[in-house]
Amino acid sequence: MAGFIGELLGPFKGFATVMRQAFKPRLTRSYPHEMRVKPQRFHGRHVLNRYPDGMEKCIGCELCAGVCPASCIYVRGQDNPVDAPVSPGERFGFVYEINLLRCIFCGLCVEACPTEAITMTQLFEFSVTDRADAIYTKDELLVQADGTPNHGQPDGPLIDLAELKLADGWMRATSPAGRADFEGVPAWTPSAGVGLRPAERGQSDVTESEEEEA
Amino acid sequence: MPEQPPPEMVTISLDGQEIEVPQGEYIIKAAEDQGTYIPRFCYHSRMKPVGLCRMCLVEVETPRGRILTTACNTPVAPEMIVDTESAVVQKAQEGILEFLLINHPLDCPVCDKGGECPLQDQTVAYGPGESRFVEEKRHFEKPIPLSDIVLMDRERCILCARCTRFSEEVSGDPLIEFVGRGNQTHVITFPDEPFASYFSGNTVQICPVGALTAKPYRFKARPWDLEAIESVSMVDASGASISIETSQNEVVRINGVDNDATNHGWLSDKDRFVFQAIHSENRLATPLIRDDAGDLQPASWGDALDRVADALGSVRGDEVASIGGANNTNEEAFALGKFLRTVVVTPHIDAQVGDALNPEFLAGVTPRAEIGDLDGAATILVWAGDLKEEFPTLFLRVRHAVTQMGAKLIVVHPRRTGLDNIAAEKITYRPGEGPEVVRKLTAQGDQDYGAVRDLLTAGPVIALVGLTGRAEDPRLAEAVAAYALGLPGSKVLPLARRANVFGALDMGLAPTLLPGRVPVKSESGRAELESHWGPLPGEAGLDTAGIIAGLAAGDLKALLLVGADPVRDGRNPDAVRAALDAAEFVVSLDMFLNDSNQQASVILPVDGFAETEGTVTNIEGRVQKVNRILPGPGQSRALWSILDELSSRMGGQLGAGDGPAIAKEIALVAPAYRSMTWDRLEWGPERDGVVMPDRDGVQELRFVPDDSGLRPTAGRLALHSGRVLYDGGTRNTQSPALAGLTPDPAVYLHPRDASALALADGQEVDVAGEFGTVRLRLELDPSLAEGSAYVPANLDSTWVLGVPDVVTVEAQSSKGKKNEKKKGKKKGAGE
Amino acid sequence: MTSFPMILTERMTAHPADSHLLDRYEATGGYETLRQALLSMKPEEIVEQVKAANIQGRGGAAFPAGIKWGFLAPIEPRYLVINGDESEPGTFKDRQLLERDPHQLIEGVVLTSFAIGANHAFIYIRGEYPKPARRVQQAVEAAYAKGYLGQNILGSGFDLDVMVHLGGGAYICGEETALLNSLEGLRGEPRLKPPFPAVEGLYAKPTIVNNVETISNIPWIVANGGDAYAAIGDVDSVGTRLFSLSGHVKKPGNVEVPMGLTWRELIYDIGGGIRDDNELKAWVPGGASAPWFVAEHLDTKVTKDDCAKAGSMLGSGAVIVMDETTNVVAAAHRIVKFFSHESCGQCTPCREGTTWLERILWRLLNRAGRPSDIDLLLDVCDGISPGLAWPPRMTTICPLGPSAVSPITSIMTHFREEVESMIPGLQEVASA
Repeated sequence: MAGFIGELLGPFKGFATVMRQAFKPRLTRSYPHEMRVKPQRFHGRHVLNRYPDGMEKCIGCELCAGVCPASCIYVRGQDNPVDAPVSPGERFGFVYEINLLRCIFCGLCVEACPTEAITMTQLFEFSVTDRADAIYTKDELLVQADGTPNHGQPDGPLIDLAELKLADGWMRATSPAGRADFEGVPAWTPSAGVGLRPAERGQSDVTESEEEEA
Repeated sequence: MPEQPPPEMVTISLDGQEIEVPQGEYIIKAAEDQGTYIPRFCYHSRMKPVGLCRMCLVEVETPRGRILTTACNTPVAPEMIVDTESAVVQKAQEGILEFLLINHPLDCPVCDKGGECPLQDQTVAYGPGESRFVEEKRHFEKPIPLSDIVLMDRERCILCARCTRFSEEVSGDPLIEFVGRGNQTHVITFPDEPFASYFSGNTVQICPVGALTAKPYRFKARPWDLEAIESVSMVDASGASISIETSQNEVVRINGVDNDATNHGWLSDKDRFVFQAIHSENRLATPLIRDDAGDLQPASWGDALDRVADALGSVRGDEVASIGGANNTNEEAFALGKFLRTVVVTPHIDAQVGDALNPEFLAGVTPRAEIGDLDGAATILVWAGDLKEEFPTLFLRVRHAVTQMGAKLIVVHPRRTGLDNIAAEKITYRPGEGPEVVRKLTAQGDQDYGAVRDLLTAGPVIALVGLTGRAEDPRLAEAVAAYALGLPGSKVLPLARRANVFGALDMGLAPTLLPGRVPVKSESGRAELESHWGPLPGEAGLDTAGIIAGLAAGDLKALLLVGADPVRDGRNPDAVRAALDAAEFVVSLDMFLNDSNQQASVILPVDGFAETEGTVTNIEGRVQKVNRILPGPGQSRALWSILDELSSRMGGQLGAGDGPAIAKEIALVAPAYRSMTWDRLEWGPERDGVVMPDRDGVQELRFVPDDSGLRPTAGRLALHSGRVLYDGGTRNTQSPALAGLTPDPAVYLHPRDASALALADGQEVDVAGEFGTVRLRLELDPSLAEGSAYVPANLDSTWVLGVPDVVTVEAQSSKGKKNEKKKGKKKGAGE
Repeated sequence: MTSFPMILTERMTAHPADSHLLDRYEATGGYETLRQALLSMKPEEIVEQVKAANIQGRGGAAFPAGIKWGFLAPIEPRYLVINGDESEPGTFKDRQLLERDPHQLIEGVVLTSFAIGANHAFIYIRGEYPKPARRVQQAVEAAYAKGYLGQNILGSGFDLDVMVHLGGGAYICGEETALLNSLEGLRGEPRLKPPFPAVEGLYAKPTIVNNVETISNIPWIVANGGDAYAAIGDVDSVGTRLFSLSGHVKKPGNVEVPMGLTWRELIYDIGGGIRDDNELKAWVPGGASAPWFVAEHLDTKVTKDDCAKAGSMLGSGAVIVMDETTNVVAAAHRIVKFFSHESCGQCTPCREGTTWLERILWRLLNRAGRPSDIDLLLDVCDGISPGLAWPPRMTTICPLGPSAVSPITSIMTHFREEVESMIPGLQEVASA
């Protein structure tokens, strides 16, 4: 009996699933018309940062190239010109290239960098029509004087440069100077992102216990 | 190797282990030989210990209890108990490292030493991990240039005194020193006196931190992305071991490798920085063919080789001659010799460009000394060019033998040399009067040179014999060798300058020699070679002078120039140029355009140093392996492969398909090289090189030098055409770091000669010889023999003079510019 | 105090106006000993007398002079070098001997040179002592003129040339091998020992280096016999000694006293007590490199052995007295600053360590110390002188580094609470 009714209802069972899903909130977004807020520690495209005075942070030490598991970074240093220094030290990154076709976005370069010159942004849209274009040169990687990363189509309707300047929580958490629960103006001056930063919440027990103490 | 009695062994206890070590050895060395590394900064095995850095502290059991002492200057004694790992030692090591780091900037990411830095490595291994120093570090101005090549960062310096000791003890030009005291001590040059040493690069290599850096490598690469390969320096023929280090297919630096037999790890700056020429933009990258209009045009290899094959095939074999091949590997030289003797069929082959010694003397004089014999010598006789200029690493070995091993040194030269200040005796003679000096030394009754003769009675005597200058008669060297071989326990080390000239001669690139030190005259030797190669010309060929004359006279029609520039190196530049013009066909196989091959019909680009693999032979006859680490530029090819293809186009069969195949054939047909294989030189104890002949090798050529009764030449102002290290040669001028170091051209006169000619110091003068005239500045040089004029060879303006026996020096002729003339006159009048 | 002969200072006390002139020297019996010794004694006899006298070197190390002479390697030529580079803070005894009685020294030099077979002697005088150097130079010239120096001295056939050399102003040149380097025209840096100067010294030849005061005693010893000298003073440390009293005593200055007094006698009886009758806090018994003594050591005898047992040394005879008003950290800082400035810069622990110590003390002194600084100070000291023992073990080439450690271990041993009270953090912890 039950089997008979069950068989009768069979075709409608599928509809039940459809109906159930139809009234649930939608996950699909109308990308690219609608952008998602990316996680704070998103591993996006690299940028090369500057100090507030405009000096480049990169000193051409090649540690990023040395640590890169995909061997996608090529750096050459050079003697810093005394009369027009590019970076604060003796040496500066003369050539800096990242082959983003090879890059696996592991972020080891960011960890290796002693001056926090290379950091990762939230930028992920960099499809190219020519393989050579996937090799980002220093000109493209280096942020502008105000900390804004260079973008291939900065005027594109979908490009939110402000988002690119957002704090890079992951970098902050792994950098030697920073902790995930850091709050305030970072000591290492603007990376991708300027000004005050809120603490990342819920990163560790330490943070919570410290909060309790406070 | 020189015979030395085995050292007495003593037993000591090292970290609880009984070990046998030679008596008197320092603890640090004894421990290292047993595999226990004691950390150190100032200690260097090739220099005397100073105990400055205190890093090598160990505990030693003494009657007074356990004491901390430096392992670098404490010799082992029987029953000594040494502890290198005790808590006290570890505490001391941590302490020393913390002390060293309090004033050492932590700019490792910027520092060129970062990644290969003894201070970094030992801090990781033995350091405290964290510094408790919170104050500001000591500051100095960041790098200050010590010389045109070397920069000094005093903040990074840990005052180990390696550089200052090197320049004082090893190279003998103490131009840098500690100044200040306490915390403010630093290393610096004397005011207004740059660190202009031929050996300054060594201080950069031995610096245990990044305090000393050399411009050519500065910020070029990081140690971890360097690829390195061991090889041999091709600057001179002393066979200095090096490691060639590249980054991204570019040679970025060369470091010395400690080879007990040759260079002790030291290099001259030319050895070290000449690699820049490899990447010169002037390197030839494609074959060039002269078109109908007379211009050189890039061409394909096929066209170029066809052109050469046609040209060489259209003349009789013995109308073809070849000059050069002394800068190539043994394998290339062998292939060239075989190509010329069996495919072209000509005996007119000369690797030396007419400016050196008799090939039979160079390849066949016995007993031939090894460089290591210098250390056991009682007396060293140097009758050759200024070693400091021509053989810098050999110069250091002679210095070591004299200053450290107690040998007495006699220098015979027309002018001051780099060795004079350590020489027991110095004989200065006018060029051309060498035979007279030999006669006086030989004649027992003669009053002159008594002290020299006395010294020479003490054996063993090692005689370094070569040409003192280009104008000297090569037969003088043979007379000197003949005299030297009569001295007690004597051996002769014949000197010729070009990188692999000894290898080239051993491979038969000489009119009188066949491969493996077999004279062409030798019926049996030739017969044996003919059994492999087929019939060969039985007559000796023409040497370079003969070839030039032959070309001019039209007897010879075609010429191969293999890395040779006979115009610059020739006795009479104009005559050589005329001969090249007269030749029907000239093909040049070279890395660069030069004064000789500008007029060539075809120019083929060849791979050079660091681009070819093979073996080379040094002045001792020591064979060492040179290695390839990068491809040649553009379409350039290895010499053997060019010759192989050329011979197949000419219908011959060279069998020079690859390097190893040639090496095997050398071992087969060259008697002196019979048991030589590449494997032997690449692995194991023979990596330092093997002196030929060894094992099954036999040397057929026994050249007995003879005093041929050379007459002293007369004439005012005999020319001394001595070589300088940084000359106008192609490699030097193509290396930016070295090009600027070339001395200003000048003519040097003894002050008395100058005053006899009414000439003043600094005056512009015309130096005229048989072959040309040059205008040079006059400098007075009291060290020069009277009656002679010294003109440095092969500088950009001096080579035009050629090599006449005598020159005249006179005040600038009236053809000169008016105001200059006035100036000269005024000066003359004023004095 | 028993009566004792004034061996060194009698002449200058009796004739303050002209004790440095040859006429006065001769009038008071000078050069008589030399005449008799050169003409009637053998060199070995003089050495025997000096050995019998058991005189300890007065430069600081207190090594018996006679035994030192015995180490001389049998190689010619040999040299005698007189160390007049008196730069230890608080020491000014040699200055008086050089300035006021140079002929006594010269006579000692000739006798010593005769005894050890040296024909060249060098008197190395501190660069900051122009007047003593001038006086010695004049005395040397006068002695040459009278035949006490030069060829065939007093007809004995013995030749001696004496050269007076003025230093360049470095404390380290008081170290004998650095002094030899300085004499040779090199940087004043201590050499590695062995070889000791007696084997390989000046110009790599056997050399005896003795202090001015040591050699000034020689004429008396030769004249009166070694046994007479050995009878003065204590059992082990014999003879009289010049002490330079300075600091907070009522009567500072040089005093010649026999060995074997107690410190109480030296400071209170001879030095006249503490200024303003304050409490004695501490004193430096033998130059800035010696660990300090405090009140409990007052009855220690002034001899080499007794002081060594008590953990210090007589050193160069400089007694610097500090009363209760003294800030010991400031005192220690001043001494360490001196050593860090005078470090030759050769070896790491001394060059870097002394500077670091100086900076930590400076921090303490300015109330900017950290609680961890006490341990840090001691640990840095330990890096220079492992174990902080006395006599010091050292990680350095010469004792200059460990010298800078002495004042710090002294204040840490005797005045730790006072040091701790200068550190802000520690004070709060203590009060809480």
